[in-house]
Amino acid sequence: MADLVDSMLDLMRRLPPTRTEENVAALIRICPDYADDLLGSVDQPLQLKTDRATGKEYLACDYNRDGESYRSPWSNEYDPPLEDGTVPTPKLRKLEISANDAFDTYREMYYEGGVSSVYLWDLDDGGFAGVVLLKKTMTPSAPSEPSGSWDSIHVFETAERGRQAHYKLTSTIMLQLVMKKASEDDDQKADGRESWKRDGEITLGGSMTRQTEQDWPIHDSSSHITNTGKMIEEMEIKMRNLLQEVYFGKTRDIIYDLRSLDDLEKTRRQRELQKELVGFIKR
Amino acid sequence: MEPTERIQAACDFLLQSPPGEINDVLNDVRNIISDDNLLQEGVVPALRKYNLAQFITVDVPETNHQSIISEAARLPSDSEDGQERWIDPRSKTSFAFDHITLEASDPQPYESNEDSEPFRAALEKASLNYLLAHFHDGVSSVFSQATPNQFILQIVANKYNPTNFWSGRWRSEYIVDLNEHTVKGSMLVNVHYYEQGNVQLSTTHSISLTLPPAIVTTSPESSGTKILALIEAEEGKYQTSLNDTYHEMSEKTFKSLRRALPMTRSKLDWEKVLGYKLGAELSSTKGGFTPS
Repeated sequence: MADLVDSMLDLMRRLPPTRTEENVAALIRICPDYADDLLGSVDQPLQLKTDRATGKEYLACDYNRDGESYRSPWSNEYDPPLEDGTVPTPKLRKLEISANDAFDTYREMYYEGGVSSVYLWDLDDGGFAGVVLLKKTMTPSAPSEPSGSWDSIHVFETAERGRQAHYKLTSTIMLQLVMKKASEDDDQKADGRESWKRDGEITLGGSMTRQTEQDWPIHDSSSHITNTGKMIEEMEIKMRNLLQEVYFGKTRDIIYDLRSLDDLEKTRRQRELQKELVGFIKR
Repeated sequence: MEPTERIQAACDFLLQSPPGEINDVLNDVRNIISDDNLLQEGVVPALRKYNLAQFITVDVPETNHQSIISEAARLPSDSEDGQERWIDPRSKTSFAFDHITLEASDPQPYESNEDSEPFRAALEKASLNYLLAHFHDGVSSVFSQATPNQFILQIVANKYNPTNFWSGRWRSEYIVDLNEHTVKGSMLVNVHYYEQGNVQLSTTHSISLTLPPAIVTTSPESSGTKILALIEAEEGKYQTSLNDTYHEMSEKTFKSLRRALPMTRSKLDWEKVLGYKLGAELSSTKGGFTPS
């Protein structure tokens, strides 16, 4: 029997991304023992929370969750409050605060809005790991305009090797675009009978994941922020191009592989006619 | 979890299958449920529902063409053993259909309604010409409804390309009503792209047209051709409007979600970003030097 988790992940790669949350919940009900495996490997849309202490918004995912509570990167507090919730060591927390500030600047420069959060945690082998989250949603100003959301999840692991550090980065971007359309023709034609009505919806959504491993020099602990910052910036630029290509190029090409706007029969006839003409001239 | 709930969950997964991937989904579900006996009995209704909704095509026995399995293709009266039968009006055949293997069997002649047949056949002829003109691998079926002068025209086109991790399906359905002089229909497009990701396009579009009286009163051949010309125009318009939507989503929404580069047109200077922040932090610490 193939690995159960592999089957679950394959299934999640095929089912509609718009229904990820309900499908993950259903899988967990079927196999409760695999809840942690699933929650740790299936990326779900980031939830927006508000820090009770600072009033600032932050992002919730599996990485800042302890039981039913989520830790805010701004106040380091859990909501709902936890007596003994897991927090980074003081040294790592200091780095986490700087990283949140730096990626907040990054967010403003590229997203001009939205919310960012960075969470760090210590690893057993002495290194540490972290996740950089970015989310922006757009609500349409008119019903005829598209709505959209962008969720970035960058998970990294680092190990120091002397004056170098090795980084492993896994980036997932979830992009969702929705547009509703309705139109009606009230013009009565000359015969008074011909009229039409049209309405519809277009949902273009999903996620793409990419990985990279790189070595960068380190001078002090803040080097980890500049290093991961550069890696994540480079990755987001690459993936933004990739998303553009797949979302607006590839899926559109597939529609044209199904149905041709041009008359295929006409093209076929023209080709035959051309062949005939060529044959005629050669003779 | 109760066995019935497990089957219900398995059925929900199956009904969400992207085009051409029902067997992959079924394979995953088999592993997850890990109870083949329970599954085998339980999922057939879901597979049937999926096949009908997705306009699954079948090779019609003793012919060279395919027809569509859908609610409109179901023979109203089941045979004595309670087994469902399906019709292909084009070859005037009825047959049994296996929802798991997707194969037809036991073909028998099927008598179509004499009154509606000329118009149905005309619509069918026109729709087959339309398929050749605009679909790369299209299948179409035209059914006479129980209500006189009512017809259902269905089209499906599939492209499955698992080696390049994508698949797509176009479905359209039109109810041609000569009593009401209307054509009501819908077009549905589904695309799945899953190379190192899972991106899906799902569109729905419904239309409602009133037919000019001249179309209804001419010969079946002529009105069949004219109705398909209207459908061709609507589907073409829709495909063009999808292009416009793509453009708008890409130029407006995508660009305002995340910029390609910051306003400065250059990447971030991370040393500087950190420097500013550290500087701000230092000065704020200085300000807070009073003992607490």
